[in-house]
This record gives sequence, C-alpha cells and structure tokens, in this order.
Amino acid sequence: MKKKVISMILCMAMTGAMLAGCGSNNGDSGNTAATQVPEATEAARETETAKDTEAIAEETDNAGESYTVFLITMDQMDQYWKNIDNGCLEAVAELGNIDYKWSAPDVKDDAKQIECINNAVAGGADAILLAANGPDAVTVALEEATAAGVKIIYVDSAANYPGEATFTTDNKAAGKTAGETMLEELESKGITSGNIGIVNVNAATASCVAREEGFREAFEGTDFEIMETQYGEGDAAKSKDIASAYITQGVVGIFGANEGSSVGAGNAIQESGDDIVGVGFDTSDTISELIKGGYILATMAQNPDIMGKEGIFTAEKVLKGEALTEIDVDTGVSVLMAGDF
Amino acid sequence: MKKNIVDLEYIIKEFPGVKALDNVQFHLKQGEVLAFLGENGAGKSTLMKILSGVYTKDSGTIKIDGQVIENMSPTKAQELGIAIIHQELNMCSHLTVAENIFLGREITKSGVLSAREMNRTAAEVLGRLKINISPETIVGSLPVSKQQMVEIAKALSTDARILIMDEPTSALTSAEIEELFRIIHQLKSEGCSIVYISHRLEELQHIADRVIILRDGQYVTDMEYSKTNLDEIVSYMVGREITEKFPHIECKKGKKILEIRDLNAGHMVRDINLELYEGEIIGIAGLMGAGRTETTRAIFGVDPKESGEIILDGKEVRIKKPEDAIRAGIVLAPEDRQKDGLCTKLSVADNIALPNLDIVCNKLGVVNMKKQDKMTSETVSNLKIRLAGDYVDAGSLSGGNQQKVVVGKWLARNSRVVIFDEPTRGIDVAAKVEIYNLMNELKKNGIGVMFVSSEMPEIMGISDRIVIMCDGRITGELDREEAEQDQILKYATQFEKKIS
Amino acid sequence: MEVSKKGIKKILAIRGMGQVLTVTVGLIMLCIVFGILNPAFFSGRNIGNLLRQIAPILLIGIGQSYVLITGNIDLSIGSVVGMSCMISATLMTKGVNPWAAVLITLIASLVVGFINGHLVATCQLPPFIATLGTMTIARGIAQIVNGNYNTDSIGEGAKRFRDFFYYGKTLGVYNTILIAIVIWLIFNFLLSKTRTGRHIYAIGSNVEAAKLSGVSIVGTTVKVYLVSAFCSFLVGIITCATAGMGTMDAGNSYEMYAVAASVIGGVSTLGGQGILLGTVIGASIWGVLQNGLQFAGAPVAIRNIVIGIIVVVSVLLDVVVRTGKFKKKSK
Repeated sequence: MKKKVISMILCMAMTGAMLAGCGSNNGDSGNTAATQVPEATEAARETETAKDTEAIAEETDNAGESYTVFLITMDQMDQYWKNIDNGCLEAVAELGNIDYKWSAPDVKDDAKQIECINNAVAGGADAILLAANGPDAVTVALEEATAAGVKIIYVDSAANYPGEATFTTDNKAAGKTAGETMLEELESKGITSGNIGIVNVNAATASCVAREEGFREAFEGTDFEIMETQYGEGDAAKSKDIASAYITQGVVGIFGANEGSSVGAGNAIQESGDDIVGVGFDTSDTISELIKGGYILATMAQNPDIMGKEGIFTAEKVLKGEALTEIDVDTGVSVLMAGDF
Repeated sequence: MKKNIVDLEYIIKEFPGVKALDNVQFHLKQGEVLAFLGENGAGKSTLMKILSGVYTKDSGTIKIDGQVIENMSPTKAQELGIAIIHQELNMCSHLTVAENIFLGREITKSGVLSAREMNRTAAEVLGRLKINISPETIVGSLPVSKQQMVEIAKALSTDARILIMDEPTSALTSAEIEELFRIIHQLKSEGCSIVYISHRLEELQHIADRVIILRDGQYVTDMEYSKTNLDEIVSYMVGREITEKFPHIECKKGKKILEIRDLNAGHMVRDINLELYEGEIIGIAGLMGAGRTETTRAIFGVDPKESGEIILDGKEVRIKKPEDAIRAGIVLAPEDRQKDGLCTKLSVADNIALPNLDIVCNKLGVVNMKKQDKMTSETVSNLKIRLAGDYVDAGSLSGGNQQKVVVGKWLARNSRVVIFDEPTRGIDVAAKVEIYNLMNELKKNGIGVMFVSSEMPEIMGISDRIVIMCDGRITGELDREEAEQDQILKYATQFEKKIS
Repeated sequence: MEVSKKGIKKILAIRGMGQVLTVTVGLIMLCIVFGILNPAFFSGRNIGNLLRQIAPILLIGIGQSYVLITGNIDLSIGSVVGMSCMISATLMTKGVNPWAAVLITLIASLVVGFINGHLVATCQLPPFIATLGTMTIARGIAQIVNGNYNTDSIGEGAKRFRDFFYYGKTLGVYNTILIAIVIWLIFNFLLSKTRTGRHIYAIGSNVEAAKLSGVSIVGTTVKVYLVSAFCSFLVGIITCATAGMGTMDAGNSYEMYAVAASVIGGVSTLGGQGILLGTVIGASIWGVLQNGLQFAGAPVAIRNIVIGIIVVVSVLLDVVVRTGKFKKKSK
C-alpha cells in the first residue's frame, strides 16, 4: 500500500513537472508599474460591459480596455526567443493596456506547442503571438483558438493557417544571405571549390529547413559541394561532434543553422585551428565570443525584438478593431561580423 | 544429560489475518538430530525463520546455550553458529560455488577479494563432506541435487553448530539421500545439532533422535523417536488417527482410453509404449533423472518429440503444443508447481480460469465474471481449497492448496486424461490424502489417471499398475498385487550396459 | 595453433567473455566497413575525435551497467547529465570558480543518486518508475537553474577547466579519453575484485539469496545508483566544457544510449551478468556507428534504423545464447 501511495505521488509530481514544461514567464524586468492590469481581464473581453471594466480599470494608468496577449515560441532555450520577449515587453510597456504572458514548451515539439496554445486559449487570451514549430501541426489548435475569438499573429515562423499578420524573417532569404557571405569570403581567399558542411537541427522545424534551402541555393552553379546534412538537435555538444567530423573530412566551410548548431560549429573550428569559414545563425553570448575570436566569420542576426515589438503593436490594433497597413512583414537579418561587437 | 542448545519459549508470531505461531515451545539438545514435523502451515518454516533471524518474533524468548538473545538477525544468527538450508534453494545461479558459499562474508585483504583463498577453503569444505564439485563451477549449471549439496556445504562453512534443514531430500536421489545421511551422522559426531524438517516420514528412522510436532501454529508434543512409531506420529500431526495412509479403491477396468506408441523425444524419452484404461491409475516410478517428467512433457506437447503416436479413445491426436493436448482432453499438473503450474502473482480465480477462458468468455472474448466466479467456487469447494478469499494471490497458498488449484483448473474442463507429476511433493499428510482421493474420484468417473512419483509407498499404495523407467526407457511393469519394493528398485536401476 | 587454442579457451573461461569477444569481432568489422566507405574515417584526427566521443558514452555505460547488473535500471542518467551541465555552467557564468562549481555540481548529482537508491531499495518502488520520476525532476532542475534559459558563455576564466575536461591533451591523448580510462579502471576493479562488486552480482542473480546471506540490499543498491549519478555528473561536466556554455537539453536520451552500450556489451537487463569490458565494446560500437555513419554520408533517417537494428540483434543474440542456461528464480 505504501508502495502504491509513493508511486502515485511520484506520478503526480512527474505530471506536474511535465505540464510545467509548458512554462510561462511573465514579463518581469523593469517597467512593472506600467504593466499592472486589473484582475477582471475576463470581463474586459465583453465589449458590451466596457463600462464595468472602465470602473475597475481606474487603478491602471490607462482608462482603456486591456487585452490578454500570449507569446508562444518554439522553446525557451535559445536567447533568440528571449529577444522576441524583450521586444514584446518594450511594446507592452509603451502601450500599458496589455496583460502579457510568454509561454513555450521546454523543447521544440509540435504536440507540446499545441498544448501551450490550448492552455493560452483557456487562460483567456485575446490574441496569441505564435512562432509555429511546424507549419501544419498546430492548425487544428489554431482553428479552435480562432473559433473562440482569439486573434493570431505570427512571429518568426508562420503556420499554414491564416493569421492577422506575420512578422518573420524570410528564412530562405536569410539562409541565402548566409551562403553568399560564406561564398564571398571563400572567393576572397582564392578558394573556388571544396566541401561545405551544414549542421542543422532536425528535419521538421520549418524555419531551419528553409534556411538550409536558401543556403544551398547560394552555392548553386559553383564548384563547391555541400555534403549530406547532419542533425544535431540544436545541442551544442552534438553539433560540435558533427562539425569536427566534417573538419576531418576536409571541409572549407561550415554553416550552423541555428544558435546551438552555430556554437558547436564555432567550437569545432576553434579547436581545429584550421582556416575554415564558419557562418552561423542567431546571436548569443557564446556566439559573439566566437566571432570576436575569429572562429565564426559572421552570424545572421535576426531581429526578434522587432518581431516582438511590432507583433504586440499589431495585436493591440487588431483587438481595437483598427485596420492594418502591413500584414506580411519581413523583419530581415543583419550580418554581424567581428567589427560589429 | 544433554543440555539444550536452543530454547524457544512462548513464541508468538502473527501475520495479517493469521496467527502463525501461538505460544510455541521448541527445544533442541546439543548433538542430536531433532525431527521437526507438522503439516504444511503448521508453522515449522516460520519458527525456523525466527530462529535464523529472517523474521522477528512478536513475543517470546530465544535462548542459545542458555543465553537470552535479543534482536536476532541473519548476521547475528550466523555468528551464533545457526545455519539454515531452505527448502527453496537460495543460490545465486550466476555465481560460482565458492562465491555462493562465501556470499555475505567474503574474505578480503585490504578491500580486495581473496578469490584463491575462498576457492581453497570451499574445496576443503566440499572435500570434507566428500562432495565432488569444483568450487569454480557456476552454480546455475549444476543440477538441483548438487545445488542442494552446495547449500549444505555453505551452511557448514560457517562453522554452524546448529543446522536447520528444511526438506533437504525432496530433490535427491536415494544414493544422494544416503550421502546426506552419512554427512548428518558425521556432523553429529562432530558435535553439531540438527533440526530436520521433512514430510518423508520413512526417512526418519535412519537419523532422528527425537521428534517434535506442531499443529496449526501450536506445539503438540515431543518425544524420543525410539519410543514412538509412524502411525502415532501421523496421528499427532493431523489430530486424528489415520488408519489407511493410502486410500486405494478397486474399480472395474474398462476400455482403453490412451495409447502411447513408440514415443521418442531425445535421450530421456526412448521407445515409450503405454496403455491406459478406464478405471485404473498408472504410477510411473523410477529414480530422479529416469526421464519420467520428460515423458509427461512430451505427451503434453511441451517438449518437441522426434516420433510417436498418441491415440485417445481410438483416434490419433496430433499434439505439437500444450494447446493441442488440452483441446484433446489430455492435461498435465507439472512437477514444479510454482514455476510451471501456477501464475503465482495472479489470483486463484485467474489461475483457475486461465486454461478455461474458452468456457468463461463469450464469443467476443469478454470474460463473463459470473461464469468465472461459479467455476472458481465450484472448484474451491469440490477440492476443499482453503483460501482467505477467491482473489488472493495463488503464490500465497500453502503447497497443498496450490496443488489443488493446479489440478482444479483442469478439472473444470472435463478432461479425459490427467497426468500428475509428483503431485504430493512438499505437501502435508492431510492434503496428500485429499489428492489421493481426488485421483480416485477421477478413476471412478472413468477418467484416465497417470502419475509420476518418487515416493515408493505412494506408488505402491495408489497405483493399479506400476510402470518403472530408467534412463529414458521403460524397464518394467508390475501389477499392484505383485509389486515389491525391491523389485521396483531393481527395475529402476536397470541402466544400459556400456560397450566394453 | 595448439597454443592459441588454449589461450582462447582460457579467455573464454572468464565469465562474460563469450559475448565480449563476439561483439569485439562485430566492432572490428564495423570499423573496416566504415573505413572502406570513407578512408577519412581512419585519419588520425578522426580517431582522436572518435575516441573522445566514445568516452562519455562509456562513462554513462559504466553507471548504467552497475545498475543493470543488480537487476535495476536508471532512467535518470540523461537528466542528471543535463542538470549537471546546467548547474556548473550557471555557477561559472555567475563568477564562481570552475572547480568550486564542479564540486557543488558533484554534490547535487550524488543527491539524486542517493534518492534513486533509496526509492528503489528502501521504498521498494519499481526502478523504472522511481528513476522516471527523478529523471523528470532533474530535467526540471536543469531548466530552472538558469531561469529556463541556456546559459551565457562560461568565459575565459574557464579555459583551464575546458581544457582539462575536453580540449586538452596529455601525453598526446585527449584528456577526456584518459578520464574515461581511469574511471573505467577504478570501477572495473571495484566491480570484479571487491566485496561490494560481488554483492552487486549477487543481488542481480537472486536478491532473496543475497538477503538471506546477509548482503545489505539497501546499501548495495544505493551504491550502484551513486555510481551511476557520478558518471552522469562527469559527462555533464564534459558537455559543459565542450560547449563552453550550459544547455538545458544536454544529455537527452542518454539513459537509452547507456542501456544500449551495456546490453550490446553483454550486460543483461535481467541482472547478474555482464562485465565492464563488454561495456567498453558496446560504447565503442555506439560511438563508431554515430561517427561512421556520418562519414559514410548516410542520411539521418537511416542512422536510427541501423542503430536500432544493431541493438535488437545484440540483445537477441544475448537471449538466444543464454536460453536454458541459468533459470532465474521468479522474483
């Protein structure tokens, strides 16, 4: 009996921990005063009861309606998502009428993201800023959300389902830029042929797949040969092993398709001491160090903060019923090199 | 006057739902062999587990050499020189003989195992007892009887002064039993005191000095062996006079039920030809390793056979797996109850229902609980199985009741031939009688009964015809009236001569 | 010819060597195949990398083997790797001296091992459930410890730490490999030549018999889980040194790789048999597969299938060869 009780407690703890894996972060840095919202956000949804809300909303700086907006990203590991969150927080601080929450699964996983979306809808979301992990996997959840009156805005990665607006990096174009940057560097060194290795995340995450497509496009028609892509799940250590193996096979350039892959590639290049051109994607503290050290030539820095900021602004506009000027925004990438740090 | 080396006084031990020991008295004198008797469930194993520190008593006193001992534990018991050899062998089959002997008290030099010394010492102990096994043999590769010898050697290597043997001879051949008795006499002469638990009452005359009897968790009596006889002992054990130990009934021999022709299945089953008629019980006698169990398994379809025909009621049946045999109506109650006969973790009801699911389930395969309950309660009452409830684990029953469940599940489906392999091994006297009566019932109802047994009196007492096997062949066949013990033994030892 | 026959017989007589020799042959064949498919596989640089990739698998394999031999399993290995990577990295990014961070991480990991051991032995929970629980909790700790983000770079101050555990070489051999060798020597000795090692086999073979012989079931079980946690801790530290930062999903699925390495090497999941020499070969086969398939240019989808097939085949071989030999008492 004692055995069974302890087993049950453990199972409940596990379930709890797993649900918590769909974690949430409330914006907590600085500007807390401006982001305080009244308790009755549920009531705020009913426009007919605007008067009641106004009365309750007296405590806030703004006398207007307040909206609940969720940011749902692919995971919360990479600093990239944190940057989107930062952008959102900036906008939320400016607007003052948003009840903002950031939620995401603990790993890139379609099923877990669907859970987060459902939880957000149940949690009273008026609008969701979504970075879809897979373009088709979450459509059903989005249908249900829309049916419940929730507005969808895409950041970073759109799903195959109509949203109000999209703020993404054109990943394919960014990938192509990465390829072109590498090509330029190689040619300036007088290298016109050789092997190139790609360290990607997995075959399912649409954004990374698009980046690789663009990268490969940049090399079409050249004498360079791109080897069979290897997947490191975005884990820096695994990616490093993969990159080291590429180096042993004599590559002249390595492309890391996301933050973790780039860290791994950079570490491998650093260890090898060889003159290999490394190009990465996204920024992080470690990546900037690798670039400063000269082990990574450049990284494609997306503009996640712009995505977040504009996303929130747009959400508010949509919820207020205003018309949008731009629906499909490419927030672009900057090519960051050593000199930029 | 020999003094008491072990005194257990007013021992009480309760388990949930049952009082296993109720103010039990037990005294063992220095240098004697004490036969410890009682039906299964009488409390013998429990009392010995308390003495050896495996269980803790609820109340009472343990005295060794007159000294009261508190907080008995396996380690403490070992220090006091108490060693117990369990009925269910407790060997680690992946380890060697020496490793098993020294388990828990390995010899080390500054933390490192002294394998050589342990092997040497183990060899010494084995040699002293004239047991021919190398200490470096992996225990799992030894036959059960040799494993038991290793258990004895292990107990002795701890310089045990008090040796408890629980059913030591159940898996031994008669030659090995003689060996064991020789060892017991040797140990006695060296000053060892031995508690000998056994159901094989006929053996006691060779070794027992005194007898102590428990019944239903209570002390009944103890006395000098020479001052009593088997009938008196048995009556103390069961609380009533048993006039006839083997309830044999006469039935008219009817038509042929089963014929086995030229059955061959490896070295252990060679050219077996048998005929079984209605109204008779065939007993299959022989020494261990004669191939009797293997024969039953070949008939039942467990082991593949090379050749042979099985003809049931005049029609040939093809038996390739147990399913075929069961469907034809031939069933087997196997030798190792716990391993092969029952799913010990399942309930009694589940066990009884298991081969009868075609009867208790509806067309869609859903179990009809009413039918299952009916089947269970019928079986339980017919066979007088003692249970706390229909849904207790089968593994928690006593040996005798377990055997009844094993047989019961076959009886629920009106089988045609029931084969028993060692049906009464490790079962108390009263339950044995119930099993014999069961077999007789089957015989009376025209169901074919075949049983394998290593207990000569049982074979002679219950069978109508006795078939003797040796080394895979049938070496003799006797009718009940003409059977003599030495004749049976002669057939059982008729090994093939090797070509010189 | 006579001499080598005797020699082989003597080696085969050592318990567990049968399976080890079989898989060693398999390993050699794999290497040859990969080498033929791509000679760069045999280059000095790759051999060094390969051995260094095998080292962490061997370490977690050692831990899992210890637990498997007692008839239990440790599913928390991967999470402790991640937890250990994150704790050490987070501390270092906050300015804690790397060695102090390592020490604190060690204590945290051993606590997990201690809990595992007692959940299984004292509370009598099935090891699958118990370690599934600690697996989730440890992964949760890995996520919480830096506020649910991967860490920043552990910085220049950690250079000696990174060299010691991953990038540095001693006597021409990567430190990681040497660490794995030393740990293997220690734990192999413990398992084969000490009383505790004997007890580990005994519990796996027949826990009742062991108990009745006075073997401390709780003590021994806790010890094996501590060993497993220690090995996971080491791999977490090595991962941190490799990446130069802490990643929350480090060690994902490692417990399964550890089981694979052990089982391929002849450690039985039923307990009671297997030797650590086998784990070396098992880990090597695993590492060679991961590495070699990349050199062979195999698409990733094939990789998982190949690895899965090899694990199934080696387990099948294990069962087929052993059928009928040691009939285990039903637990």
